[in-house]
Amino acid sequence: VEKLILPAIMENLDPMLDFVEKSAHAAGFEKAFLNKIRLVCEEALVNIINYAYPNSKGEVKIQCGVDTDRATFVIQITDSGLAFNPFERPDPDITLSVQDREIGGLGIFMIRQIMDQFSYKRDNDHNVMLLEKKLP
Amino acid sequence: MAASYPVEIQGTTATFTLSGRLDAVSAPGLADELKKLIGKQLQKVVFNSSNLDYLSSAGLRAIVFAKQKLGAEPEVIILKPKTDVLDVIKMAGFDSFLTIQE
Repeated sequence: VEKLILPAIMENLDPMLDFVEKSAHAAGFEKAFLNKIRLVCEEALVNIINYAYPNSKGEVKIQCGVDTDRATFVIQITDSGLAFNPFERPDPDITLSVQDREIGGLGIFMIRQIMDQFSYKRDNDHNVMLLEKKLP
Repeated sequence: MAASYPVEIQGTTATFTLSGRLDAVSAPGLADELKKLIGKQLQKVVFNSSNLDYLSSAGLRAIVFAKQKLGAEPEVIILKPKTDVLDVIKMAGFDSFLTIQE
């Protein structure tokens, strides 16, 4: 399992996503899927960067690795900010007209579309998000 | 680090040339450029996407701003999107109000 810990600020989004993309590539995902992994993690991390630490500075920890028993690539994202379960939100209605479309919630919707498993738990004052994708 | 995007205006058409990644880091730059076009009564906003490699919901938010907030609800055209970018547009259901042009 590889690990990266960085301050949760937008300036660190690219290095965070590069880290995940590199791990996914090493795990055996094709180029075509790396952008999707990047997208999933961007949506998860931007939430944390924008909302987890409203009045303080904090860090985000990203762990990536392969669960060989289950042939699954696992991404765990941990922060110690405000408790927030992104998966509690209902999916946006993507059939609404353009003027009525809400853009919030779209990122989580895309995580659901792309990943095989996703979960959230509050653990010891930490938000822990698990994102899983079967290896190709 | 918001990127800047070249925009060309001809008559009632504005054309943006996108490249690299349109994500949470770069999208605010595009949103700023789009805000300058408010009230110009544009009929078409074209996003030339032939060099765009990646699009996230933050990028989509900037693009949909063109449709929702510029007034007169211009036609928004995504020109020559790559497969990855088109996938995201379709996944979000945005292909129903954006014009995809090869």
